[in-house]
Amino acid sequence: MTNPFDPKTVFLAKHAQHVVLIHFPIALFMTGVAFDAAAQWSKRQELAAVAGYNLISAAILTFPVIASGLLAWQWALEGQRLKGILLMHLVFALVSSLIMWIVGWVHFRSLRKTGDLAAGFRIPLELIGVALVGLTGHLGGFLSGVNSPV
Amino acid sequence: MRGGVFVGGAVLMLAMAGGGFVRGTVARGENASPVLAQPAAAATSQAKTMEVKIDNFKFGPEALTVPVGTTVTWTNRDDIPHTVVSTEGVFKSKVLDTDEKFSFTFAKAGAYDYFCSIHPKMVGKVIVQ
Repeated sequence: MTNPFDPKTVFLAKHAQHVVLIHFPIALFMTGVAFDAAAQWSKRQELAAVAGYNLISAAILTFPVIASGLLAWQWALEGQRLKGILLMHLVFALVSSLIMWIVGWVHFRSLRKTGDLAAGFRIPLELIGVALVGLTGHLGGFLSGVNSPV
Repeated sequence: MRGGVFVGGAVLMLAMAGGGFVRGTVARGENASPVLAQPAAAATSQAKTMEVKIDNFKFGPEALTVPVGTTVTWTNRDDIPHTVVSTEGVFKSKVLDTDEKFSFTFAKAGAYDYFCSIHPKMVGKVIVQ
């Protein structure tokens, strides 16, 4: 039986730890959106700051996740043709990341300057981001077999 | 500098995508003649070729009994890539795209367990008599 604490299972895994790393930006982004909604509803600046740090961290973590995703595609799937679920997963992942970068940048600007930057479209954009992240994860679940019907 | 990084990233992605397109060399379903899977009892007295379909994250039939010398062909009918890997390391396919096939001829009697290395819950068995 494989020893889960064997370093080889970490460093030589063909999925390049993509299935592990992906949870961090998802959790940070969703938490950040929840805090941002709470901040806008309650008008409390400290909640907005918490949201900002979560959302900026999520945006930064998209880079290792995209890199590990590309490696998993090459190693675990041996560079399969981009089509069907695999193609949709990649496209949705890149669009989700783009939204995370935009949201992260907006919050970064808000943290540096006092005031609510782009408050009008921020929450709708963040909610679109959450929906896309969910959809991307759902498709990723099929690729990894987590969402398989058996 | 920043532009260079973006261009570099784009080139890297295109190169990786190109690699994926170049590698699809396994026989496609539409060019190969279909071989239907048959019950184990009938299989022993008939053709030396058997087919296992990979569909809906399952090998079908999951267990197959064949005579020595039979060639078993696995065909991926899923939209998801799969592999066929012997637990004992006897055979190992490349990653099979939709409608791609992998064949292996069983020259020795025995029980051969196999699984999909991408989705280890998917298991199957070939019993060679």
